[in-house]
Amino acid sequence: MKLTYPTTLVLHALASGFRHGFEILDVTGLPSGTVYPILRRLEREALVSADWEDAAIAHDEQRPPRRYYELTPSGQRILGSALLRYRMPRSIASRARRLRPARS
Amino acid sequence: MTSRLQLRLALWVIRTVALVVPAARRGAWRREWDAELQHHALYLGRRRQRSWSTDMDLIRRALGALPDAAWIRRQFTLDAEVVHDVVYGTRALLKSPAFTTVTLLVFAAGIGAAIAIVSVADTLFFRPLAVQQPERVMTIWQRNHESGAERLDVAPGNALDWLARTRSFEALAIADPFTFNLNFAGREPDYLTAARVSEPFFGVLRIPALHGRLFLKEEYRRGAPRVVILSHALWTSRFGADPSLVGTALRLDAGDPFTVVGIMPPGVELRLFDDRARRAEVQIWMPKPGFDEAEFKLRVYGAWNVVGRLRPGVSAARAQAELDLISGQLASEYPATNGRMSAQVIPLRTHLAGGLRDLLPFLLGAAVILLAVACANVASLLLARGTAREREFAVRQALGASRLRLVRQMLVESLVLAAAGGAIGLLAARWMLDVVGRLRPADIALVDRMPMDVRSAALACGVTAVAAVLAGLMPALQLSRPSSVMALREGRGGSRRAIGRALVVLEIAAALVLVVGAGLLVRSFMLVERVDPGFARDYHVSVLQVFASNRIDTPPKRIVFFEQALERMRALPGVIAAGAVTAMPFGEARVIARGMIEIPGHPTAPGEDAFAYTTAVSGDYFKAMGVPLLGGRLFDATDTSASRQVVVLSRRAARQFWKGADPVGSRVRFQFSGTRFDAEVVGVVGDLRHEALDAPAAAEVFLPYAQSGFRALTFVVRTAPDAPIDLATLKEQIWTLDPLQTIFSAAHLEDLVSKTLSQRRFNVVVLGGFAIVTLVLAAGGVYGVISVSTSQRVREFGIRSALGATDGEIIRLVLAEGVKLCLVGIIAGVSVALPAAHLLEALLFGVTATDPITFFAVSAGLVVVGAAACYMPARRALKVGLAEALR
Repeated sequence: MKLTYPTTLVLHALASGFRHGFEILDVTGLPSGTVYPILRRLEREALVSADWEDAAIAHDEQRPPRRYYELTPSGQRILGSALLRYRMPRSIASRARRLRPARS
Repeated sequence: MTSRLQLRLALWVIRTVALVVPAARRGAWRREWDAELQHHALYLGRRRQRSWSTDMDLIRRALGALPDAAWIRRQFTLDAEVVHDVVYGTRALLKSPAFTTVTLLVFAAGIGAAIAIVSVADTLFFRPLAVQQPERVMTIWQRNHESGAERLDVAPGNALDWLARTRSFEALAIADPFTFNLNFAGREPDYLTAARVSEPFFGVLRIPALHGRLFLKEEYRRGAPRVVILSHALWTSRFGADPSLVGTALRLDAGDPFTVVGIMPPGVELRLFDDRARRAEVQIWMPKPGFDEAEFKLRVYGAWNVVGRLRPGVSAARAQAELDLISGQLASEYPATNGRMSAQVIPLRTHLAGGLRDLLPFLLGAAVILLAVACANVASLLLARGTAREREFAVRQALGASRLRLVRQMLVESLVLAAAGGAIGLLAARWMLDVVGRLRPADIALVDRMPMDVRSAALACGVTAVAAVLAGLMPALQLSRPSSVMALREGRGGSRRAIGRALVVLEIAAALVLVVGAGLLVRSFMLVERVDPGFARDYHVSVLQVFASNRIDTPPKRIVFFEQALERMRALPGVIAAGAVTAMPFGEARVIARGMIEIPGHPTAPGEDAFAYTTAVSGDYFKAMGVPLLGGRLFDATDTSASRQVVVLSRRAARQFWKGADPVGSRVRFQFSGTRFDAEVVGVVGDLRHEALDAPAAAEVFLPYAQSGFRALTFVVRTAPDAPIDLATLKEQIWTLDPLQTIFSAAHLEDLVSKTLSQRRFNVVVLGGFAIVTLVLAAGGVYGVISVSTSQRVREFGIRSALGATDGEIIRLVLAEGVKLCLVGIIAGVSVALPAAHLLEALLFGVTATDPITFFAVSAGLVVVGAAACYMPARRALKVGLAEALR
């Protein structure tokens, strides 16, 4: 698939540990009409895998379980080559340090 | 706004937007968005400070779900259903190559024919012309309302009166076509078609020049510099499409050179010449410098063309009404010349469509019938295949496929078939149009210039889509009926077979209508072919048409020139007879003189037509043509310009004017080429048809060329069958005498006659082609239905033969079923064809529209074809072993 700058941003965000749709929206600053189709396409191309978070966590927070996305090994590889072409903003990596684990 | 209310609103948005998401993914999708929003709501709730923007954050994010949902929907529709259907359908079709091939060919025939005809109609009536706003451009012709002759060239006097008196046109112009001797160094002398046009001409047509410019106002004045505009065709063929030609001088004739000021764009086809003269498009345009005094007085003869652009808001009918009024005025002002004359307004497009205009409804009708038969054929093929695919449909239904899904699947399959068939059909259409272009009768413009562009592609797609739905919908609805599988198992599958039969009956009826139509045209064609034109038609007669050049300017010089040429031709080896004539029957530009004749002692009754063609002949014209001498003598060497004036009559003239009495020896007075003749009748010859085989011969008076010295002559040379002479050798004889003499045309007599049949040949080939294809399709339909029914009756046949039925009896059973279908179709077809055939009446010759021979032969032929189509399935039924049949 074509690796555009927004796609690379989304991959980068995923690699930095942002796993939920809204987190990726916030951290990349892209509109939802861009992020979600990118996620769906990445999922279809098996560059990203998706699953539902542990029911226990959701139960603790009294809300339904969220869907999370993770890079697959081929997604990692693609990102590696894409990073040679695009420069990623520092903000994603710097915010990643403050991130709490989504699943433990 | 409390965050609680916000969340509820946001979740409601998601619930609504979820309807856009395909059902299969809706649940997961909604859960994902719900979870994200609820998580976000918790996050927002934990934050201390709140503002208007954080208040709206949840709603804003919820609305962001809409593009996501729309994207999924689009993807789903694209790849999950339609693409899947296409892939699945294609795979299913590839698995049954025989079915697919047959269906493709059937579709290709139907769709190809429809595309070809629809694009012809499109070109003739809708496609933009080189002329701007062509719907407002009218051509105006003379009509003889007594003889009924239409679309006649206009006499200058009448044209000038129209120019002066009409108000319906914003501009009205004349074109005076003529032919031009062209002598380029190093080339054979040739003729060019040219036209002098009056000032508003290019304004009427609104054609901008491709290179250079149009004529200036002052160039239409007398004494202005000599300028020309060249046609695109001449510019490319003679001058290599060199734009620098504009502004250069061109020597066209003996006189001063002309300056080329402009080049016309391609596609300027106006067919200015009378449609019966098979001449080329105008190649050179010149300004007409004013009008001569004499032109205002010419009201009988003349070959002008008139074109006008209607004022905005004025209809063709109103222009016609105005011209009728003017014709009435002219008739009372000049009763002698204009008594029978009226004006005829023909829109440019109609004029260009020529003979095809009347034929087009039939062609469209035939194409629609063929397309319908092809679709019916495909429908029954799909039905038959559906029967074999029952299991598949039953399984899919059991797995939860909705009826809509199955219908769509089958429609997609028929669309795949139609698209592939349409692609083949498009190629076939191109080829067919090529044939049409080559066959086209001379008076039809534009047809052979059929571009393959977006427009024709759109047409093709439209036709294909219609065909796919026509063919696919009924089988799809029928096969997807939820109960159909069960019903069949219980042995009540009769409705499907009934539909198959109905389709076949329809196909046969449609085929009969087309074949009867084509049959009537073929019979007419054969009858016209057999008409005796009064001369011996064959390839051993060569015809060479020559207009003496301006250097041979007096009748005595011409007589000498033509006599020398004839002498040279007569001396060629193999020549049996050589002669020459002023009005060559079927000649390409016939100089026909028709005048009043006067017979001293035979006063004509009032109202009686005492007109006859007056024709000068030279040498052994009658012998070369094979015209029989019926009484008296032919001209010979003693009939010279010095001897007394003599004439030979055609049989028709003798009968018409002498009413059975022997005319030989009596006198006749007439005018020819401005000279008065008072001649003695010396002989009578057979009648010659001049215009066409289906136009009767007219009264004709022949005089010796030596006594007239007319400018144009056509040489007629008959050679021995074993010593053919090529036309180049004949041309050489003229050029040895005068290397600059142009030759208007050279042909074989048979080709000239054959040319006049081009319209009929065209009708026969095109409609006949449609009829044959339809017939083949109908036969295929019979074959299909009988095959299916025979395979279902194998058990019955097994039992019958076990009980002692012979092979012959079983074959008869199968044939009876097929023939019964044919008979029903034939009865239905005849009941449609009988009234419909009357529409063809104008195209027929020698047969009536309800010609019993044609109807009977076609019906019998259809029964034979139907029976033949049953024979194979019947043989196959016999081959099945008894044990196998009873299992």
